[in-house]
Amino acid sequence: MDYKKPLDEIFDFLPPNIKRLLKNNIHLYSISAEEIRLRLNKPLIIIGSDSDYFVDSNGCFIHEIENAYLTTKEDIKNATEIIQNFSAYSFGEELKNGYITIPGGHRIGISGRTIVENGYIKSIKDIAFINYRIAKEIIGAADKAIDYIITPTSSIYNTLIISPPQCGKTTLLRDIVRQLSNGIKSKNIKGFKIGLVDERSEIAACFFGEPRNDVGIRTDVLDACPKSQGIFLLIRSMSPDIIATDEIGKAEDADALMEGANAGVKVIATMHGSDIEDLYKKIELKKLHSNYFERIIVLGRSEGVGTIEKIYDKEGKLLFKYLGQEV
Amino acid sequence: MLKGIGSLMIIISTSLLGILISSKYNIRLKEIRKLRFSLQMLETEIVYSSTPIPYACYNVGLKSDNIWKKFFMTVSENLTERKFYSMEEAWEQAIVSNLKDSSLKDIDKELLRSFGKILGKSDIEDQKKHFKLFYTQLEQHEKMAEEEKKNNEKMYKTMGFLLGAAILIILV
Repeated sequence: MDYKKPLDEIFDFLPPNIKRLLKNNIHLYSISAEEIRLRLNKPLIIIGSDSDYFVDSNGCFIHEIENAYLTTKEDIKNATEIIQNFSAYSFGEELKNGYITIPGGHRIGISGRTIVENGYIKSIKDIAFINYRIAKEIIGAADKAIDYIITPTSSIYNTLIISPPQCGKTTLLRDIVRQLSNGIKSKNIKGFKIGLVDERSEIAACFFGEPRNDVGIRTDVLDACPKSQGIFLLIRSMSPDIIATDEIGKAEDADALMEGANAGVKVIATMHGSDIEDLYKKIELKKLHSNYFERIIVLGRSEGVGTIEKIYDKEGKLLFKYLGQEV
Repeated sequence: MLKGIGSLMIIISTSLLGILISSKYNIRLKEIRKLRFSLQMLETEIVYSSTPIPYACYNVGLKSDNIWKKFFMTVSENLTERKFYSMEEAWEQAIVSNLKDSSLKDIDKELLRSFGKILGKSDIEDQKKHFKLFYTQLEQHEKMAEEEKKNNEKMYKTMGFLLGAAILIILV
């Protein structure tokens, strides 16, 4: 595996004082930073793969809170303007969801005071908490998983990836898409036509339509489109063999995926959760409960981010369990 | 003969001086009008295609001319190259660096400055209202400029000629 994506894109979206501390900071790479967290008048915290760190005013990563750099009001104000690209009006929809995706597929989460209208969040103002989530494109992340997805007849199973946040769902999905789209010669798999519905612009990280991440040569990306509508659209317009999408959870998503199955399209999707029970607990996905997904991959962090903990088949029987042994 | 040429030159140069001074009023009026065109383009970019400010200003800059081209390009550059980290500062710097040689008065610049404080800060409906308000205010300035032009242009032109004539009378 190799970490391809540099962090440069993130620095452009940091407020000047924090950018000064972190830019070209070797520590950021050595701890393989996952998140940069800004909280008003609280210490700046960098979350690495196995510990979190404060940053002192010289840019050194430390564990003692005494010398930690405190995020100022100015930092938050600047960051808010930058991440909205100085244009509050063009980010209404994304602010409603609480995050903005920037070039490179990094996601910036925000929290503050919500403005609610008719029971729905209309916008977020007085932003005081900002989380820069660093997206990592890891070529080869799917090497292990891919063997379980391929059917004996060189087709693929409908696959669901379940994982808690920050365990590598999107990274795994992206690499599965890349490998299936390119085809894998050594395993004698031809390339599939893949329709990728990238509602959050995280998987392909399109910038003006062009994928910044490698999602393969036979992949068509529908960027920033609501999943359910996007699935219908791609089936009609691009004749995909496989539909791939991130973070399903709404009833409409289930409808669209059923429609896909009826059209003979295979599906690879991800979902928030910690194990297979979470799928059965989701009322919204009731239609998908019985045997829709033929392979269910559960991710965790037993051996760092992106560890494949378990793989189930469609009856819920364990095919693989982390510990190194197959069941 | 020599006397004739000399006096003619005096008359011509003072008249030109008068025209030069009076043209300032005309230029101010033109600059205000062109600002309105540019801002109308900016409004379209914002309201109809929700283009973010750095790109919107760039597009407007491309289609504007003279000082407003420079002005909007500077705003765009200040933001995209992260020379400034807030809209207000980027806008302010563009005013300071690009409008010092213009014929705009301080009150015009002040109006523009105040607009920079709210540009991009709210949703589309709100931005629309701000634009509308700005046009109304700008119209006032335009009217004032027109009034001043009417009153002063002729006066300075006549004064220029008369000054020349006066010098001649004194000299001859």
